[in-house]
Order: sequence, then C-alpha cells, then structure tokens
Amino acid sequence: MRTEARFFKSLSDETRLKILWLLSGTEELCVCDIIDVLRITQSKASRHLRYLYHLGWVTDRRDGLWMNYRLCVPPGSPGEKLLKLLEEILAPQPEAQALRGQLALCLETKRHTECAKRRKSSQKRSLQELPET
Amino acid sequence: MKKEAQLFKSLADETRLKMLWLLMGQKELCVCDVIDVLGITQSKASRHLRYLYHLGWVTDRREGVWMNYRLSVAPGSPEDKQLKLLADILSSQPEAQALRDRLEQWLAAKGQGKDGATACQCS
Repeated sequence: MRTEARFFKSLSDETRLKILWLLSGTEELCVCDIIDVLRITQSKASRHLRYLYHLGWVTDRRDGLWMNYRLCVPPGSPGEKLLKLLEEILAPQPEAQALRGQLALCLETKRHTECAKRRKSSQKRSLQELPET
Repeated sequence: MKKEAQLFKSLADETRLKMLWLLMGQKELCVCDVIDVLGITQSKASRHLRYLYHLGWVTDRREGVWMNYRLSVAPGSPEDKQLKLLADILSSQPEAQALRDRLEQWLAAKGQGKDGATACQCS
C-alpha cells in the first residue's frame, strides 16, 4: 500500500496539483508555460515536473533548451481515475478556472510572438537574399 | 487550491491510508485496534488519528483511557469521493484484504474476551 500512498502524495503539494490540473486541460506544456502561469521559478517547476516524470505521470520531449511535458496515464488506471476525481473537485472552483484561463492567454500570446518572430526572420532572410538575386 | 492539496496529503502517508481503509470497513475503531492490526506504536497511531481528526475525516469518542474514531465524511463531498476511489483501488489488492481480515480476527477475539481482552483495556 506504499505505492498508493506515494500515488496520493503526487497531489499532496499545491504546485504539483496545479501542474497536473494545467496538464490535464491541454495536450502538451513547456516548462516555460508553467513558470509563466504559476509564477514560480524555473528550478521549482522543473523539480516538480521531474518528480511527476519519475512517478510515471508525464512523459517529456526536449525542444531546444526547453523541456515539454504531457500526461501519460493509461485509460482506466488509478492515475486516470485520480485525475478524473481532481477534475471533478476543481472544475467548480474559480481559482482553478482562473488558472486555466491564464494558461490559455499565455499560450495565445506565445503563439503570436512566435508568429511575429518567424515573420521577422523570414523577412530578414528575404532581404538578405535580395542582393544575391 | 491549497485545501485540495491538503486533502490529498491525508492519503499521502502509508499509515494514514491504512487507517482510513480500516475505518471504511467498520463503524468505529478504538486506537488499540489500529495499533494491533497495523503493528505500530500507540503514539504513532494517535498522532495520525489526530491528524485525520483535525482535517475533519473522523470524529472521536472517549471511552475510559482509549479514544474511539469513526469516519465523518459527508456523502458526495470531495473526501467521500476520495474514499470511494481509494476503495476502488485497494479492494483488489491482497495486502489490503489481509489487513481487513486481520482486523476481523482481532475484533472477534476481542469480542469473545480471549487474548484480546488482556491485551486491550477498552473492552
């Protein structure tokens, strides 16, 4: 029954609870998204994400400097049941909803800045290419 | 969301998890029952039971020198849902079933006033 206790321990920390709540509302998150939304340091975010990784809650994917995480709980597993319960408990709470709202805003802004960056770099490239042609 | 984290923390300890599991199967338990079945010291049992008491999982009732505890979880509350999930996860586990069996044996012995009565002053 130690495994089960450890399993519940994953959600016994406010930061981890919030991270799982954010992850269960989206497909994949970068550490930087979590830092932005929860306003915590990179080391704190990474520490808790590694904790979740080692317990099998999430998988990781490296993207340049940053790590991306996504949930990996098999359907019907205790983990999935626990996440469903968490969803049930947190969904009616304004604080939890506000967090998801902030995340949506953060992802939207990131998408825009990335688009702008890409546009800028492609403009630069075409300007550089001009004299050659 | 601190409250929810605290709620999950109640089940984040192996001893507390076992206590809740035992309490779920009975109407009321004496601290001495918990001590015997889990094989832990009185101070450890009482400490965890007080923890559960302060978070509202259980209510207490004094009987002589011993304290008795019972679950006090409102139906449909987050705590109730958590206990149901716990029951769902543990019911198929031999270790959890063995604990409940040991509790039954202990309570039967206590009720018959055999070796239980000498070991526990509450009956």
